Amino acid sequence: MYKLKCRLGIINIKYFIGILIGMAVFIAVVAIIRLDITGDKGSGLGNEYLYEIDLSVDPNLILYEESGESMKTGFASTHAIALDSQGLMYIAGDKAVRIFTESGKLLDEIVLPGVPRSLTVADDGKIYVGIINHIAVYNRQGKQLASWESLGDRALLTSIAVSGSDVFAADAGNRIVLHYDTNGNLINRIGGKDEDRNIPGFIIPSPYFDLVMRRDQLLRVVNPGLHKIEAYTFDGDLEFSWGKYSTSIEGFCGCCNPINIAVLGDDSFVTCEKGLARIKIYDPEGAFVGVVAGPEQFGVTAHVCTTPEQCQSGGFDVAVDAQDRIFVLDTIKNVVKIFTRKKAG
Amino acid sequence: MIRIGYIIIGIAVLCFSSGAASALERFPPPEFEGGYEFPSTTTPHPQQDIYEYMDTVVLLAALSLASYLVLRKRSRRAIFILMVFSLLYFGFWRKGCVCPIGATQNIVLSIFDHSYAVPVAVAFFFLLPLVFALFFGRVFCAAVCPLGAIQDLVLLRPVSVPSWLESGLRLFAYVYLAAAVLFAATGSAFLICRYDPFVAFFRLNGNLNVLIIGTCLLVISVFIGRPYCRFICPYGILLRQLSRLSKWRVTITPDECVQCRLCEDSCPYGAIRRPSVSWPETEYGRGKKRLAILLVLLPILIILCGWSGSGLRKVTSRMHPTVRLAERIYLEDTGKVEDTTDASLAFRATGKETEALYREALNIRANFGLGGWFFGGFVGLMIGLKLITVSIWRQRTDYEAGRASCLACGRCFKYCPMEHARLNKTKEALV
Repeated sequence: MYKLKCRLGIINIKYFIGILIGMAVFIAVVAIIRLDITGDKGSGLGNEYLYEIDLSVDPNLILYEESGESMKTGFASTHAIALDSQGLMYIAGDKAVRIFTESGKLLDEIVLPGVPRSLTVADDGKIYVGIINHIAVYNRQGKQLASWESLGDRALLTSIAVSGSDVFAADAGNRIVLHYDTNGNLINRIGGKDEDRNIPGFIIPSPYFDLVMRRDQLLRVVNPGLHKIEAYTFDGDLEFSWGKYSTSIEGFCGCCNPINIAVLGDDSFVTCEKGLARIKIYDPEGAFVGVVAGPEQFGVTAHVCTTPEQCQSGGFDVAVDAQDRIFVLDTIKNVVKIFTRKKAG
Repeated sequence: MIRIGYIIIGIAVLCFSSGAASALERFPPPEFEGGYEFPSTTTPHPQQDIYEYMDTVVLLAALSLASYLVLRKRSRRAIFILMVFSLLYFGFWRKGCVCPIGATQNIVLSIFDHSYAVPVAVAFFFLLPLVFALFFGRVFCAAVCPLGAIQDLVLLRPVSVPSWLESGLRLFAYVYLAAAVLFAATGSAFLICRYDPFVAFFRLNGNLNVLIIGTCLLVISVFIGRPYCRFICPYGILLRQLSRLSKWRVTITPDECVQCRLCEDSCPYGAIRRPSVSWPETEYGRGKKRLAILLVLLPILIILCGWSGSGLRKVTSRMHPTVRLAERIYLEDTGKVEDTTDASLAFRATGKETEALYREALNIRANFGLGGWFFGGFVGLMIGLKLITVSIWRQRTDYEAGRASCLACGRCFKYCPMEHARLNKTKEALV
């Protein structure tokens, strides 16, 4: 028995070492074969890590339909759309603002010194254009009335709203809302991070930062990084906010959505999302109402942006006219689509 | 029984360390978080430059001390302590970078790409161990290389590797060196750094497959002394050749060899050469004929391997990102694949012409074709020389440490009775 144990002991340790080395060599060879030398295998993470969201829109949720043909703007690149009280369309693109009739007839063109990133038309007919880092004011005839002081190299004015004698501009570069009077005097800065006032600050991962004025005299500012619409007083107090991150249709997804908003006659909101191009309606309290259009209506492939260039561009702009028709500026095809509410039944 | 205990403890330590390394973050954190502000671009802190020079000074000091300990002091314990220090300093503290093994690629790239400048510290890291090898043998391997040290520490139950197998496996190091030079020269990749099997341990982070390879090598190292150094290390090839020419080198005995055979099995790296008699008359004629045939076949082997290496350019050139991108764009444009990759999307976003990309890729592939000749030719030459070496009978009268293969670890010292006599004399002198 003792002899047998000894023999087994000798045999075992030899086998043990041999098997261990053999296994180590085998595993190492497998690991070498599995090496992703060319980097084609990607991260190697399982499907559970895939960024998968439901890109389709339930047709039953679509409350609007496109009316008429898409209107070509003639621009190589477009950035903003605005409507005036007479129903004329103002499109900012390339280095100009073009004025169209509702039927798409080009009435006029205002040539600008730079690329316009934002645009609004005041009740008095003055056209406020955000040209990269400063605001320029024009009249309907295209005459420049004023050019306000530049906000510096970092500034990027992506939205303007006018309410009486107050002008508000969203500066995506500096992540702040600027409150001016109509003469271009800076009155206040709104929305800077301030823990004492419970203001979280704006998170703007991509160059989309919109604001609108509502009849309740509260400024609605999109905080895209937080997926919220925030309501501010003229003094810069944050009153409330709504909006939530969700991959479902009720919420906003991606890094930074919504990117643009507009207000309907009943104070409901029209929101515009990029990446997954969706135009949606929310009631005045921020509850989801329905969909104006999804990716299919724009004829674009629903996708999640994968390159910085894709993520930084492709954001549509939206405007609403007196009949609550929704004008969507497709900045990919540089056309305008008009959506009207489907008739009940 | 005690040895088995050591082995189990060693394996437990390995599993624990590799487990800790693999438990690191495998999924990137969210890209956007509230209030995050991108830090402004900073230039390297001056202290980093100081570290580089400090590393060079430490390397020089460690090599000098290793030479003293190996050749004069002849103390395995002191060599071991220095080895542990090197592992902690160059390995775990400096995270295995810069290392002379990887520095080979920097030097190669600087030769082929004139726009690439080699940092002074990297140049010193490449040259200093070679210079020391030329004078003192492989003292770098003995006590300064962290890769060697980590394997040496886990060597608990050495088993010998047959010399034919050792010779065969060592060819892999030549292939690896040639491949590393080819990919560095073409600006494709720093192969040695990318697949360094132990750097993941030093950094507690790394590719899972490389970590597995490193763990397997450490498991093998428990039984087979320093497998990476002996069969894989491309820098070791350079050190081997220079060590052959070294002015001073390790000797097993401090005096004359008494042929007691006590040291015969003391080297876990199979570096001790036994005394050999002259060739038997009957073998001499056959050996001479075999040598003549091999010498004639050598150029044929070189050309054949060179041709094969060049023929592999379609495969080898895929290591270059431009070639990979061009192939991907071609597949997408011809509809052979439907999806896109990040690289292809990024390329299309640049607006560059596809034709220009194809031209660039073809140029790179042509470079691989030329480089493949050298790569294959070198491998063929090494195979041929290896066969020739086997056919040459070397006469030895004493037990000797192999000039090229001795890692100067000093393990054999204590087996020599003459060494014990020397130590006793030293002690007596001290008393």
